[in-house]
Amino acid sequence: MENSNGNPNAPVQLIIKDLHASVEGKEILRGVNLTITQGETHALMGPNGSGKSTLANVIMGHPKYEVTQGEILFKGINILELSADKRARLGIFLAFQYPSSVPGVSVGNFLRRAVEAKREGYDPNAPAAPSGEMPKRKGMPPAEFRKLLNQKMQLLKVDNTFISRYINEGFSGGEKKRAEILQMAMLQPEMAILDETDSGLDVDALRIVSEGVNAVRGPNLGVLIITHYQRILDYITPDVVHVMYKGRIVKSGGREFALEVDKQGYELLIQALEEDEAATV
Amino acid sequence: MTAPTARRGFTEEAVTELIARRAEPDWMRARRLDAWNTYQQIPMPTRFDEEWRRTDLRNLKLDDVQPFGEVHPTSGGSLVPEAEREEQMAGFLGLQDGRPVEYRLDDSLKAKGVIFTDLATAVREHGDLIREYFMTRCVPASDGKFAALHGAFWENGAFLYVPRGVTVELPFRTIVASSLDGTASLAHTLIVLDEGSQATFAEDFTSPTAQRAGFSTRVTELILKQGANLHYVGVQRWGRKVNDFHTERVLLGRDSTVTLQTVEFGSQLSKGRVEAILQGDGASAKLLGLYLEDGTQHFDRYTLQDHNASSGMSDLLFKGVVTDKARSVFSGLIRVSPDGKKTAAYQQNRNLLLSRTARADSIPNLEIGCNDIVGCSHGATVGKVDEEQLFYLMCRGLNRAEATQLIVEGFVDPLVEAVPILPLRAALRAEISARVRGREAD
Repeated sequence: MENSNGNPNAPVQLIIKDLHASVEGKEILRGVNLTITQGETHALMGPNGSGKSTLANVIMGHPKYEVTQGEILFKGINILELSADKRARLGIFLAFQYPSSVPGVSVGNFLRRAVEAKREGYDPNAPAAPSGEMPKRKGMPPAEFRKLLNQKMQLLKVDNTFISRYINEGFSGGEKKRAEILQMAMLQPEMAILDETDSGLDVDALRIVSEGVNAVRGPNLGVLIITHYQRILDYITPDVVHVMYKGRIVKSGGREFALEVDKQGYELLIQALEEDEAATV
Repeated sequence: MTAPTARRGFTEEAVTELIARRAEPDWMRARRLDAWNTYQQIPMPTRFDEEWRRTDLRNLKLDDVQPFGEVHPTSGGSLVPEAEREEQMAGFLGLQDGRPVEYRLDDSLKAKGVIFTDLATAVREHGDLIREYFMTRCVPASDGKFAALHGAFWENGAFLYVPRGVTVELPFRTIVASSLDGTASLAHTLIVLDEGSQATFAEDFTSPTAQRAGFSTRVTELILKQGANLHYVGVQRWGRKVNDFHTERVLLGRDSTVTLQTVEFGSQLSKGRVEAILQGDGASAKLLGLYLEDGTQHFDRYTLQDHNASSGMSDLLFKGVVTDKARSVFSGLIRVSPDGKKTAAYQQNRNLLLSRTARADSIPNLEIGCNDIVGCSHGATVGKVDEEQLFYLMCRGLNRAEATQLIVEGFVDPLVEAVPILPLRAALRAEISARVRGREAD
C-alpha cells in the first residue's frame, strides 16, 4: 500500500521499518516492523521488558532513547528527525503509562495551549525556528474552546473540577488515565499510542477509560494499545494483535490471538516460537 | 552657592544639609544624627562577615551617589497602575522621588481613626506615633550599616496605623517611584496595627532603568499588636542598575497573624533581610518570597523566623527562578528560644535554574533552644527543569520554550496566587511570563 506522501486522500499510516533503539548503550528494540493505518486498532502485547514501552517512547521521540537503525514514517515524513512537539502537531498522540504531574499548571490552561498548538500543525517545509523562539499561533476563542472541552468532558464522563486542577497533581491512577484520554479527545490525533493505559486500574476504572477510548475511536484514528494483559481488549476490540519479545514483534494475529496468548501465557508461546525457529534453522 | 543636587556621597555635611532642608521636629533631627553616628561606627560589611560572605560590596561606590536631590518632574500621569484604576482601595499613596504626588484615603476609615499618609507628613501630624514606633523597637538604626544609613538619610515612605478593633477589608496601596539615576532612594514603610485590627497592604518599588547606578536602602517595619492580622506585599521592580539593600521585619504580638510577602524582580544587586519576630504567645507568621533573576543579577537574602514565645507558628516558602549568569543566595534561620514552647516552624526554599551558568545557593539553619516543640523542618532544592515534565508537555505539541514557560509559571503559581489583589496578581503573572518567554530550559 502507498503511504500518504503527496496524496491527501491516501489513508494516514504509521510505518515502522527495522527499528533498532537503545537506552544508555543497551539495545532494547532489535528490528521492529509495524504498519498501522488510520481506522485500525492494533494491540501490542508482550512480557515485561520486551520493549513495548520503549517502542511507544521512541515513536514519540523521547530524548533518552537513541535510534541506531531503521525509520519511522508518518504521513510519509521521517519523524525520527523531529522533536516530540512536532510529532504531536503532526498528529501522533501518546497516552502515558506514568503521566508526569506539573504542579501549578491547570489542566484547562494546558489543554487550551495544546489544542492551539495542535491546530497549528506542523509543516515539514517551513523554515526551522531558532532555538527558544515562541510560536506565533492563532489563539482559540475562549467560547469555542470551552464548548469543545464541555463536549469532550461529557463524552468521557469527566468531572468539571478536572480543568481547574493542576496537571495530574494528586490524581488517582484512574483519574490520570482519564485525563490522558481527555487530552486525546481534545487533540484529535490521527495516531494514538496507549501505553499500558490499563495498568493500575480496577475493573470499573478500566471500563470507564475503555469507554472513553471507544468514544474517541473512529475511521480517522489509528490506535496502538500496548498492554501486558488481554483484559483491556475485552473492552476495546483490536483488529490486529502483535506479541513482542526481546525487542521484536514475534507473532501477529487477529482478535482471537490475544485470547490465545492470554490462555497460553507468554512463556509457552515464546517457547513454541523458539522451537519453531530452531526447527527451521 | 553650589547647587545642592550636586552633592555626592553620604557625609556628615550631607546629613547636616538634609536636616536643614527638612522642617522636622528636634527629636527626629536628633535621631538622624544618632543614626549617622551609628553608621560611622559600623564598618562596611566585607566578605569576612558571615552574612555577607556571598555578596561582594567592593564595587559599591557610595561616594558617587547623590544622597538626596530635587524631585524629578513626573510624567504627569497617575502612579496608580493601569490595571488597578478601577480597583477599590482603602487608600492610595504615590511617591515620586520621595514626594507624595497622589494620595487618597477612604473617608469612613478616617472617621474610624485610621491613619494612612506619607511618613514626612506623619512626622509632622502624628509625631507621637512616629516617635514611638519609627526605628525604635522593630528596625533600629543599630541593626546594621545600611539600616543606620537609612536612619540618617531616610527620605519618605508610607505610614499606616489601624486603631484597635478596626478591620479594613480593602487593600492599602502604595507606589514608590524613584529615578535612581545616580541617586539614592531611602524609602521607609511603617505599619502599626493596634489590637485586633486587620489590614492588607501592597507596595511597589519602581524605577526606570537609568544610565547611572542607583542606590536604595529600604526599611519596612511591621508592628502587630495582640490579635492583629496583616497581609503585606512588597514588590521590588527597580531598574537594572540599582544596588538595593532592604530589611523587612515584622514584630508579632500575642495571637497576631501576618503574611509577609516579597517579590523581587529588579535591581542589579539586592541584599536583604526578611524577618518575623514572634514576641507574643500564639503568633503566626507566613513568609512568602518570590524572585526572578536573569542577566547578571545577584540577589542575596537572609531570612529569620525568631520564636521567642510559646505556641507560635511560622511557615516560610521562598521560590526563585534563576537564569543566564544570575546568582541567588538564600540563607534562612529558624531560631527557637527557650521560651518557644509548642513552636511549629517550617522553611522551604526552592530554586529552578534555567541555564547551566545560573547559580543558587540555599543555606538553611536551625537553632532550637527548646525541646518542647511541635515541629521544625527545613527543605531546600536547587534544580533544573524536569526533563520528564518537559517531554510530557512537548508530547502535547508545545515546543521546548513554551513547555519551559508553562513549567516555570506553574512553579511560581502558589506564590502569585497568594497575592490578595487580583490585578496585581495578573500583573505579576504577565511580568513573569514576559521574563521567561522564549527561554528554553538548558
